[in-house]
Amino acid sequence: MPKRRDILAIVLIVLPWTLLITVWHQNAIAPLLAIRKDDGADGKRDAAGLGQDSKEYCASDKDIVEVVRTEYVYTRPPPWSDVLPTIHIITPTYSRPVQKAELTRLANTFLHVPNLHWILVEDSQRRTALVTRLLRETGLNYTHLNVETPRNYKLRGDTRDPRIPRGTMQRNLALRWLRETFNANSSQVGIVYFADDDNTYSLELFEEMRSTRKVSVWPVAFVGGLRYESPKVNAAGKVYGWKTVFDPHRPFAIDMAGFAINLRLILFKPQAYFKLRGVKGGYQESSLLRELVTLNDLEPKAANCTKILVWHTRTEKPVLVNEGKKGFTDPNVEI
Amino acid sequence: MGLLYALMQLGQRCDCTEHELLYERTISGLRGELHTLQQIMQRKESKQQDTGHLPPIYVITPTYARLVQKAELTRLLHTFLLVPALHWILVEDAPHKTSLVSNLLKSSGLSYTHLNMLTAPQRKLQEGEPNWLKPRGVEQRNEGLRWLREDRPSTGGASEQGVVYFADDDNTYSLQLFQEMRSTQKVSVWPVGLVGAMKYESPVVQGGQVVGFHTGWRPSRPFPVDMAGFAVSLRLLLERPEARFHGDAAQGFLESSLLQGLVTVDELEPRADNCTKVLVWHTRTEKPKLKREDVLQAQGQGSDPRVENVFTLARHQDLSWGRCGLMWLCVELTTGQA
Repeated sequence: MPKRRDILAIVLIVLPWTLLITVWHQNAIAPLLAIRKDDGADGKRDAAGLGQDSKEYCASDKDIVEVVRTEYVYTRPPPWSDVLPTIHIITPTYSRPVQKAELTRLANTFLHVPNLHWILVEDSQRRTALVTRLLRETGLNYTHLNVETPRNYKLRGDTRDPRIPRGTMQRNLALRWLRETFNANSSQVGIVYFADDDNTYSLELFEEMRSTRKVSVWPVAFVGGLRYESPKVNAAGKVYGWKTVFDPHRPFAIDMAGFAINLRLILFKPQAYFKLRGVKGGYQESSLLRELVTLNDLEPKAANCTKILVWHTRTEKPVLVNEGKKGFTDPNVEI
Repeated sequence: MGLLYALMQLGQRCDCTEHELLYERTISGLRGELHTLQQIMQRKESKQQDTGHLPPIYVITPTYARLVQKAELTRLLHTFLLVPALHWILVEDAPHKTSLVSNLLKSSGLSYTHLNMLTAPQRKLQEGEPNWLKPRGVEQRNEGLRWLREDRPSTGGASEQGVVYFADDDNTYSLQLFQEMRSTQKVSVWPVGLVGAMKYESPVVQGGQVVGFHTGWRPSRPFPVDMAGFAVSLRLLLERPEARFHGDAAQGFLESSLLQGLVTVDELEPRADNCTKVLVWHTRTEKPKLKREDVLQAQGQGSDPRVENVFTLARHQDLSWGRCGLMWLCVELTTGQA
């Protein structure tokens, strides 16, 4: 018959050993698991900045629209202040001959803007080495994402079909990333701006948008077949209409480059996204904004919408006829 | 039992997500700190160098008034602001210096010289003529050269140090390019992207020397390089005061017309990793389509007086008022042909 003191003795001997083994187990196995993760065993992505994009990762059989979870390297670029609101710039981009040039000169502009966080979203199956290297070398604060637009949504050939909005899935992915990364209750102030990679931005624009409380708007040059399109601002400083020729009765007759949204608003309305299907040409911006604000809430910037601080420039497609069928130049040289 | 429990645990994977997150965050944070420190060090180094020890880069840019001019110059100066010891010589193709360019330069923060020189009448491109028909920017670049030779303020012994680069206002330049050209002794060369109807044009380098040129168009030219593909040392330009661009050069020979008077091919200094990297791109910006501007004007809502009015357009298109009843109909006909 087991006596009480025997039981006590056994417990007192066994308990410390149990604790010891459990603790040792945790410490030893965890590093092993971390190393195993590097091999992509559970399909997770490794760090962005280590040039490991050549590694294959297990593409799931799920819908192409699945978010590719990535780790972002949050570095501090030239100028950073602890007081200024962060401007999160969402730029969709895609591979074509002028891509590196466009991103280079865009980065050269962004390097002057304090507290800038660049969210670059590639329209590709995997993050490309070109963009990865470029982002790393600029020294900017960035997040590198990618999602491939399914072929049936892409533009057919080279013709411009305004009914299929380009960059929508990429912008939506960035919005989703913001919502997953930032807590709606946090005190962090941020502004979200959609910047396409071929436009031209003045430095003053970024300072104007920094004070956005909900959604701010301003004129954009070279859109809508005009020298510029602009919101109409009354004497009270409120937006009451749109000075455009192309469909001025749109809820928000404004270009993607003509507005910025406070991050808090994005987080408070987590269902607001750009509509992908069934969007008429020119209505893409409205499909997002109408879920966030009314006309009355808009804050006009750029001296009550009288100054041009952003230009909707477009880069010519370079003529490459001399490459011929086989390609004249060394394909290993990156352009 | 406790022991048994512990022994059973040995075989299982533990739930270590917290550890992983912590690892990730730590690594990410450390990487960030490292990058920050590297940046700070880089900036400190460049600041020390910037106190006059770096040979200055003189960038000569011809420019002319058109819709996208302000946008082009804006993003160009953003790049130049990041290059230490750069002096921008902006030469307008205009009878007088315009306020648009003057104000842009004044507020840029750059070290600059603002000049203007009209293109000779025989070289002035007419409406509708293609870009390649006549050589462009000749008078403006030569004016820049003249300023460097005659009006540049000399700052003592090292005043002949420096490199001259011809940068058009619609190309795209990486920051590394300016680092590469700074050490030019005579004339340095490198590849240029998106030019010559190819992905890039490039000098061919063997044993550290230029032995030929990789170009898809007239490789027999003395120097089949693009304007953006070379830089000249200031000293060489001062030694050869007669070297300049010749406006009567045949198409594609403009660069050769200058370089012939300066160097021979074997004297060229290859840069950009022996001409294997593309650090500059010959981008071109589309002309914005402004069809709807006319419609606005016809509706009486176009308030900008600089927009060409309907009557002028009608005259150009040779429409008679008898043929179109309503004014808006005339505009539609006009824009249809635009």
